[in-house]
Formats: sequence, structure tokens, C-alpha cells
Amino acid sequence: MADKLRTQQQLESLQNKYIGTGHADTTKHEWTSNIARDSYASYQGHPPLLHYMSIGMGVPTERVRMMCMEKMVLPVGPAPVVED
Amino acid sequence: MANIQQTQAFYSLTLESSSAPTAAVTCNAIPGLKNQDQQIFEARGQRLYLHRIIESEGRTEVKVSTVVEQDAFGIIRGVTAFRIPGTPTDQLIVSSDSGRLTMLNYDHAKNSFKRVHLETFGKSGVRRTVPGQYLASDPRGRCCMLASAEKNKVVYIVNRNSEGAIMISSPHEANQWASLCFAVCALDTGWEHPIFAALEVNYTDSEGDPSGDMYEQREKLLVYYTVDLGLNHVVRSWSDSVDYTANMIFGVPGGQDGPSGVIVCCEDRIYYRHDKSNPLCIPIPRRRGPTEDPNRKRCIISHCLHLSKARHEFFFLVQTEDGDVFKLNLEMGEDAQGRKTAQPERMTLKYYETFPIAKQMLLIRKGYIYIAAENGNSKLYHVNDLAEDPEVEPENNFSSDDVSADPAADYTPTYFQPRGLTFTSLAHDVASQHPLMRTKVDNLTGEDAPQIYAIQGTGNRSVFKTIRHGLETQEIVSSPLGNVPFDNLWSLRHRSSDEFHSYLLLSSSYGDKTIVLSIGDEVETAEDTTFLTNRATVTAQQMGDATLVQVHARGVHSILESGAINEWPAPAHRTIVAASANSRQLLLGLSSSELAFFFMGDDGVLNQLEEMPEMSGKVTALSVGATPRGQQQAKFAVVGCDDCTIRVLSIELDSPLEPKSVQALSAIPTSIEVVSQVDPASGTAVSYVHIGLQSGLYLRALIDEVTGELGEVRTKFLGARATRLFPVDVAEQEAVLACSSRPWLGYNHPQSGLHTLTPLVIAGGQQELEAARPFASEHLKGLCAIQGQNLLIFGIPSIEGRLSREEVGLRYTPRGMARHPWAPVWYVVQSEGNALSQATKQGLLPSSSTTAAAAAADGDGTAMDEDSADPEELEKHLGLSRAPGHWASCIQAIDPIDRKAATSTVELEDNEAALCVAVVAFESRNWEVYLAVGTGQHLRPGVVGTTGAEPKGFVHIYKLVEEGRGMEFVHKTPFDAPIYAIMPFHGRLAVGVGNELFVYDLGIKALLRKSRGTVVPNMITSLESQGNRIICGDVSESVTYVVYKPKHNRMIGFVDDTIQRWTTATTMVDYETVAGGDKFGNLWVVRCPEQASKESDEEGIGGYIVNERSYLNGAPYRLELRSHFFTQDIPMSVQRTALVAGGQEVLFWAGLQGTLGMLAPFVSREDVEFFGQLESQMRAEDAPLAGRDHLMYRGYYVPVKGVIDGDLCERFLRLGVDQKRKIAAEVEREVREIERKVQEMRTRVAF
Repeated sequence: MADKLRTQQQLESLQNKYIGTGHADTTKHEWTSNIARDSYASYQGHPPLLHYMSIGMGVPTERVRMMCMEKMVLPVGPAPVVED
Repeated sequence: MANIQQTQAFYSLTLESSSAPTAAVTCNAIPGLKNQDQQIFEARGQRLYLHRIIESEGRTEVKVSTVVEQDAFGIIRGVTAFRIPGTPTDQLIVSSDSGRLTMLNYDHAKNSFKRVHLETFGKSGVRRTVPGQYLASDPRGRCCMLASAEKNKVVYIVNRNSEGAIMISSPHEANQWASLCFAVCALDTGWEHPIFAALEVNYTDSEGDPSGDMYEQREKLLVYYTVDLGLNHVVRSWSDSVDYTANMIFGVPGGQDGPSGVIVCCEDRIYYRHDKSNPLCIPIPRRRGPTEDPNRKRCIISHCLHLSKARHEFFFLVQTEDGDVFKLNLEMGEDAQGRKTAQPERMTLKYYETFPIAKQMLLIRKGYIYIAAENGNSKLYHVNDLAEDPEVEPENNFSSDDVSADPAADYTPTYFQPRGLTFTSLAHDVASQHPLMRTKVDNLTGEDAPQIYAIQGTGNRSVFKTIRHGLETQEIVSSPLGNVPFDNLWSLRHRSSDEFHSYLLLSSSYGDKTIVLSIGDEVETAEDTTFLTNRATVTAQQMGDATLVQVHARGVHSILESGAINEWPAPAHRTIVAASANSRQLLLGLSSSELAFFFMGDDGVLNQLEEMPEMSGKVTALSVGATPRGQQQAKFAVVGCDDCTIRVLSIELDSPLEPKSVQALSAIPTSIEVVSQVDPASGTAVSYVHIGLQSGLYLRALIDEVTGELGEVRTKFLGARATRLFPVDVAEQEAVLACSSRPWLGYNHPQSGLHTLTPLVIAGGQQELEAARPFASEHLKGLCAIQGQNLLIFGIPSIEGRLSREEVGLRYTPRGMARHPWAPVWYVVQSEGNALSQATKQGLLPSSSTTAAAAAADGDGTAMDEDSADPEELEKHLGLSRAPGHWASCIQAIDPIDRKAATSTVELEDNEAALCVAVVAFESRNWEVYLAVGTGQHLRPGVVGTTGAEPKGFVHIYKLVEEGRGMEFVHKTPFDAPIYAIMPFHGRLAVGVGNELFVYDLGIKALLRKSRGTVVPNMITSLESQGNRIICGDVSESVTYVVYKPKHNRMIGFVDDTIQRWTTATTMVDYETVAGGDKFGNLWVVRCPEQASKESDEEGIGGYIVNERSYLNGAPYRLELRSHFFTQDIPMSVQRTALVAGGQEVLFWAGLQGTLGMLAPFVSREDVEFFGQLESQMRAEDAPLAGRDHLMYRGYYVPVKGVIDGDLCERFLRLGVDQKRKIAAEVEREVREIERKVQEMRTRVAF
């Protein structure tokens, strides 16, 4: 039992430390949100990629960065209604 | 495990590094310079630069010169600089993808960056929660903060201990779960506890609410994090909600200088916020004009601060996304006694200038503004006026009076009229190459080396560039010499102490004559000199104090200072074939293979050595080195003979003409020069012998000062003509000009310190020079040369760059280019998102066009010209008129060789955007050449959702007329999806539409479909073909090989890839192999398995390949990965080509951010092994500056395979002697040998 508890605690500390660490009840929404947030963060972090997008869209990179940041708030739309 | 590569390995080299700035900051990093003399610390791609602004006297010429550049082998994300109190120079801080904070110093002695601290705070890589995205430092130099896009923030406190060493604290974390960070800045709090401000959004509520209401109610918070220096921790001290559109914040000076607080930039408005003051708000003025949307909102994209600490005054410059720069002032309130309080009362904005869109705008205290431009050339502007007088342009003053600071409140927008440069003037243009949309290496001019043709830039600042390897020259004078072919010239001083040259001797061996020009205010023929003019001159030299010596075939003619003439006749039946002199010594080569040596005494008379040693063959060239400074005589002479040898002889008086060493050559030497040049490694002057051979080879060897042995031989093929050498002075150093089929300059590169050989690009016309010499007169300093029938006087403005560029202006962002099959004409398709098309603009400007037409009809030419020239210039300066959802697009034929301009232009309408282009010769039209352009209509990049019309595509066909210079519209064919790839294929046209590949033929009214196949998963973005094999690049799923079966008219995809590669560029290296690049910055080479290749080419349709079963929902076979390499920059073009005359073929690639690079195939397995060892040694000995693991970096997405990083290997040349020796011992080679091998890898195939 103690082992199980410790595993549980370790998992929790991992989840706290690293966003996106899954658990048994991870929903599809959480999962996809996480991936999308990772992607948007990566676009901003790689200057050539941001530059590439800004040229395609015809707007300055700062605008594209803002769009990426804003998308991170709710990247795949609101969570589906949970039925009990 | 044995380190043996089974397949072809490549050597990756950067030819020109990325020019796109990521971040820049002003600093005072070089010790000993004035506070005013600020430097620019800039990150471009993976490199760090330190620039200085160099002004000539009277500020007539200003340039941004690079002090040091260093490859960091990591993704640099931010830079900042701060001064720790009590230290003499600024500390430079770099945030990169290494998960570490790097603190650097500029090491003045070694001229490099020195790492002071490297603190690890997280995992490496660009991750959502690893700090590094944002970097801010306390203006008082006490701490700095790094933040990530989500959750994590980390603060480091730095200070100086009593020994003067810089101490850094352990990291203090300030993490907030589920909070997104939009921006970070440091507040100026004076000497109070440092505060960092952040713009944050918490998404916990939005995510948890299925109805979406909480998302609508989300708030953006301005949060203060106070660093408590006493308690050594960071606390979240204050937060308040701000306008949700806020994107940028920056600190307002505090303490004695101002009120502290932050400026919050939002869409259309700028706020002042502080926890101790009332908020203020001012709308961002919008552009006025008939083609401007009055409702369009701008946001601020860059800013800079001017703070005068002496006067406690400050202002900001802020730039909108249109490029308009406003001056932002804060005015303080006054108390009852009329003293200024710390409460800001109003904000004012004044329209200052319009500059190119800046990644970072820097105000330099010397009075310059540096624009690190997002696209195109970075610029340095000189500030003539700070627009402090409110009376000047009063209509451009805006204030925050009567504007509510509540984000929800209404406000009236303000407008202004943008104009040309008024308060500043352009001081320097930093040549840049980003964004580089496409390149193509081709030889249109028949020069011996091919040129690189490139399309670059965005908006109406786009250009079509012709890039050549070479230094630019500036022609000063070019005057015809008549039809006698002159083959050599000498510029002479009258006395050795003279500063300027007095005589110019031109000799023609064909006409057997010499002409003498005098150099004064003008260069004119001198009649009254005593030089011999009826003979060709072999050499001429000013010797001794004031003796002029002219050597001709029959003797030596010397003119003493008194005017007396001494003549030394050549021995009977012998002529002088070669001669060389310095200020004391003269060496002659006679036709009888004998040498005659003279020494000049103080009386100015030449004394001959009696001994006349005979050489082994006919003397073809010889040289005595220049007299070393402070000495009477040079030590060695080098004599070349027609038996393909050169001999080093001692010419010192105590051992005259004593042979020292012999060296065999591959061809007859035609020209020899001994030049003492500075050895960059030791910093002392050493003698090098430069040898030009008849075969066009150039050799350079070091002469041992003691033994006279030759060593360290470097060879380079210069051109088809015999190489002639001329010592010259360029940029205050001894250099050698080598003339072959084009002139080359050999010099020590100012940044790398390496001996570099670069061709000179002579503007307009003949590249070949017969001879060149230094030229100095009172008015100009440069070089003089014989160029065909002309005397040319020219200068070399800078030896820093290695490329010369010629530009032709374009209208919109270029997207694709194609060349006419034989005429030197390029077709460039251009399209600009969010911009008004020409037709729409004309519709909005009815009055101006009619008045212009009316004025033209009146014949009122003079007034018209000024008016019509100006708006075009102004539009170029201000940028295109923006409108969301609109597209402007055109197709231009560019003639970069003869007319150097666009020869014809077709503007597209109906919101179409030209995307790709191909020149097709249709078989059905008897191979007549047409231009096919693929377009997209109603494109909405980056917008997901279904509003407005669906994107569609067209293929336009144009007939090419006037030798390709004109285009005539034939017809256009509609498609269901935008066309991104188009290619000629067997006298027809292959078109990629979405995931389908079509083959079309030309009809009368439209294209006629001949074949169709669904071959890729998503969307075809590139097409290549050889024979019946077509390579389709997919937008996200790498490449698919398709075979076309003409008999059965079927297209069958037979091989695809295992990795998803977001393909941007592909090229077929051979029939089986494809090299390409992807959006994440990888270069890769993939190859088709042998069996699949064989099966695909089997006759007929009944074969195995058609019936092969699909494997895992893809093609039946998978590609093999041969090489993979992370370059950081996004490759936009890949091409297999040779880059230099006589060079082997390489894979040349060009990246979006301006990188030009290549993958050179290794020829021998020994080389692979050697460079593999060297690379791994270098990884350990010279670990990357920013703390990124080199192997991890080059294998960012996929482990690096089959590629050796040449950029890292070349760092070997810059190491210290000890490190070099250590590595040399490890790889069991000599240091010199490694240096030679590393340099040869570059010079063999590239520049």
C-alpha cells in the first residue's frame, strides 16, 4: 500500500513540475490542448519559423507571436460537457 | 565501434551566415571607449555579433562595422546587456535553447566573447515551460529575469565581490500554474528593490468551462514581481487587469529620472500603468489617406528609450506595425509650488518618422537610430532633430487629455499623414539577405564562376538580386588609352619620403613603348621627363632617396635626383627579361639565364655585383621583397625559371645570390611577388612568396626567415589566364592583387584574420585587368589598373564582406522565379497578403489619376515630373496600403544583365495571388515557350474557419514575346485549390492541385487535362522530375516518388518516407536521390531502395509495381535516409551545382533568414574519418558558447547523419596555439596540416 502511495505522490509531483504529464483520466480535450499549446510555444521559440509564418500571412512577426500566444489560452475550443 | 560511414558523407559549410536579427541591444562592452560610443550586441540566427559605429572625420561617412562575430551553435532567443555597479564594462546576457543563462564579456585582447557564467535552469530545447522566451534585466544591473511562454519564471541576482569577480546567485523561481506570459520587462525603481513586470493570462477557468463564457471573460493581468534583495526571494507583489489586446510592455525610468511604472502597448492604444500612479491612455494615431482603412487598428512592435541621466529627461520611440515611429513623452504633474511631482499627468505622441519594420529599434547616444530590420537591410539613421519643438508639424502632436484610461471606454481615433524622412537621414545600410525566398545558381553572363540569382524581401522593398562572390569596387576614373594594348603600369613617387605618387608609367611590349603620365591635380601626359619612352618597360621603381629607375630590355636607365642620367647597358647579345627592385636592391634576369644584381648606395648610384650566376632554365619571373621597415636590405629573392622551378636566393650583401632552396611547380611561373604580411596567429610580419603560374594557378608559400625554405603552400585556381601578381595596399594592409581571367585580392580578413582570396567585381563591363598598382594622389587613394583599352582608377570601399550584390526592385513579396530557356530573363511571381491590389487602389484614387492624366495632356511636363516621381518614392518609403483579406499580386519579367530592370509587368486582379511559376515549351505547339503561373484566389493563410469565399486556384498561361522580355496573356484555367507547384514535364505541364497531380496540355481556351493521379496525402508543394520519375513534395509528409507510365497514362506513387517532413524545397541529386529542406530547419538526403527503383522502371503497366500492395496506408516502399542535418534556418532552395570555376559540384542551399550554405560531398574515406575525429575533438575542446550540446543541436529533430559540421571544424583556425596542439596530438596530425585541410575543404569547392 505504501508503495502505491509513493507512486501516487511521485506522479503528482511530476504532474506539478511538468505540464502535460498525463494521468489515467486524461481526456482527449486535455491531451489535444496540451499538444496545441506545445506547438504554439514552439512556433514562437524558433525565430525562423515565426518569420516564415509572418511572411506567409503578410503581417509582422510580433503580430504572429501575439496570435500564437492568444491561441494558447484555449487552443482547441472549450472542453466538452462532462456527463455524469 | 569503428567509425566508418557506409554511404556518402557530406561536409556542411555556411558560405554566408544568416542576416536576420533575432534580438539586439546597445551596450558598452569594449573597455576604454567613451560612454557615448555605444556598441550594438546583436543575435542573428545562431551567431552573436558585436558591432561598432565608425564615423569618419566630420561624420561624412558612417558605417556599422563588426568587431567580433561568433557562432554559438544554438538557437539564440534573446540578448540583453547590463552594467553591474562598479564594473568597467557591460555584461552581455544571452538566452538560448540550451536551458542555460549565458553571461558573456568581450575579451579585448583575444577579440572574442568570453563566457563568465553559464547557469543551468532547465531542460535544453525550445519548450513551453522552460524559461528563455523572454529576457529582461534590471536597469541598475542587479538581476535579470528569464521567463517561458507558460508558467515558469526565474530570476538571477548578480553582484560583484571585493576581488572584482562577478557572482551570480542560485535561481529564484516565480512560477504560476496555468498562466501564460505575453511579455516581460524590468521596471526602473531607482535603488529600491528591483521589480519585473509581466503580462499574464490565466487559462484555468477558460479551460474548465464547457460553455465558453469564462473564455469570453478572460483577463490579461499586469503583474509585478518584486525581487527582495534582503530576503533573497521573488514575490508577486501587485497585479491589475489591463486591456486584453496588450502585447508589449516596457519600463519607464524611475528613481530620480522619472515616475517609474510601465508603458503597456495594446492594439490601437498605449497605456501608462503603475501601482502608485493613475493610469493614462492615448490612442495610437492611424494613417490618413484615400487608400487607408480608417478603422484598422495598429499595435506597437518595437520601441526604444532615450534617457538623459544628467538632465533627468527621457522619451520613448515606439514603432507601429506600419513602420511609423512616434515619440512618446510623459509629462509630470506639478504641485502647488510649481515643482514637478512624480505623478505623470499626460502622455503625448508625436509622429516622428517612418522606418522599416524593426525587430529591435536602438537609439545610440552618438545620435543614431539603428533599425535591426525584420525584413531587408538593417539601417542606421542619423538623428538631425529630435522633434522637440511642438511648433514644428503641430498637426502631428497628440495627447492623452480627455482619453479615459478604462479599456472598455470609447475614444475617438486620431489620424495623421505619413511622410518621407524629415528629422533623420540614412547614414548606413547594412547589406542583408533576409528573407531569402528563392535562389538559383546560374551563369547568365558567361563569367568563369556562376552567379547566384535570388529573390528577397517583403512588400515593395523586395528585390531581385544578383549575388556574386567578390568585393565591390568603386570606379573613380576610367579614361581610354587609345588602341595600343598596354600590359603593365607603375606608379612612382618622386622621392621616397613623398606621400603621393608623381608619375605613372604605362608600358606596351606590343608597341615597344612607354608613356609617362604625371599625377597632380589631374593625370595628364608628361612631356618633359627623362624616362625612356621608345622602349617597353620591364619594371620601374623609385630607389634610394630620390632615384628613379626604369628597366627596359636593353638596359637600366636611372635618373638621379640632380637630373643626371645613368645608363647601364645589358651585356652584349643579351636582353633583360625580368626585373624586380625595392628601395635598395635590383635584380635582373637576362635572356641568357643569368642574374644580375645591383645594390644602391647612399649616393643613389647602382653598384653591380660582378658575379652573374646562371639559372637552370630561362628566367621567367623574379622578385625581391620590399625593403623591411628600418632596414637597408631585404633578405631573399625568389626566381622562377621555365623548367617549372622556383629558387630562393639570399640577396644580403654578405652572401649575395647564394641559393637557399628550390621548389618544383606544376607549370611555368609567370609572376612572383615576395610580400611581407602579418601572420594573424602571431601578429608579426612574415615573408610570403606569391606565385602566379601560366596555368592560372596561384600559390602562396611561407619563406622561413632563417633557412629560406618554403613551407605552408596554399594553392588556388583563379582562372583560365596566366596569373600575374601585383602588391598593393588595401585598407591599411599589404595585399596582393592577382590578375587572371578576373582580378583577385589576397588579404587578411579583418574579422576572421585568415588569409582570404576574393575576386574583385568591376562594375559595368570587362572583368579582366591587365595590371594594377597602388595609386595615391592628393585627392584620391585607391588602385590604378589597365582594363583593356582603358586606364581605370578605382577604390575598394570595404574588405569586410565577401559578396557583391546588384538589385532590381520588385513590387510585392516574391514567391517564385523561373528562367527563360535561353534568354537572360527571369520571371518572378509576387504576391502580398493583406495589401490592396493596384486595381483597387486606382479605384480609390480616381481624382489623382485623372488630374495626372489631365496634367500630362496639358503638356505641363516640368511640374508633373516632380509630382509623379515623388509619390512613388514616398510609397516605397511608407509601404503598401494594408487591408485585411486583400491580395496584391503581379508577374514581372526581369532582365538583370542588360537593362537591369523589370521589362514587363502583369498585375493580377480578383484577389488572386501568384504562387509559383514555370517556363514550359509545349510539344503540341511545336515546342513554343510559354510561361505558366499558378495562383490562389481568396487565400487566408493562418486563418482557420469558414468565413468568406473558399480558396481557389488558377493557372495562367502567357506567351513570351520579344526574346522573353514581354508576356502576352493567353488564357487561365480554374482549379478547386490554390496551385503551389507547377513544372514542365515532357512537353506538357505538370500541376499539383491539393493532393492530386495532373498533367495538362495547352488548348485554345484553357488547359486540357491529360492525366491525373492522387499521389500524396495532403498538398503538393514542390515538383521535380527526371525521365518518367516525378518527385512530389508534400506540405507535411516529405516526398513521394511517382512514376508516369506514358503508354497507360497512369501515375503511380511507389516510394514515400517514414518521417513527416514539412517540405519547403527539394532537388533531385541523381535519379535515385533527393535532397531537400523542411520548415523546421532540417536538410536531408533520401534515396530510393534499389528494388523499388528497378520495379518502377519496368516496361508496361502489367509489372509488379502496380499490383504492389500499399504498406501502412502509404506507398509500397519506403525511402532510406542518407543524411540529415539541422541548420536552424529554413532551407528555401536546394540545388546541385558547382560554385567556383573548376570546382566540384556541391549541394548548395539558401535559407529564409539569408543563410547561404552547402553540403560538399567527401571524396575520400580518409577525409571523412579525419574530419569526423576533428569534429568530435572540437566539440570537446571548443564547446558552444551558449552552452548547447553541439551534437544535440545538429540533431535537433532527427539525429545528425552523414554530415560533418564544417563550421565547427573551421573554429579550429581560431583556437589558441595550445588548444590547436592538443587537438592535433589527438588526431595525430600536425597543426599546419589540419589548418591546410580545413581551409582546403572550403576553397576547393566554394568561397
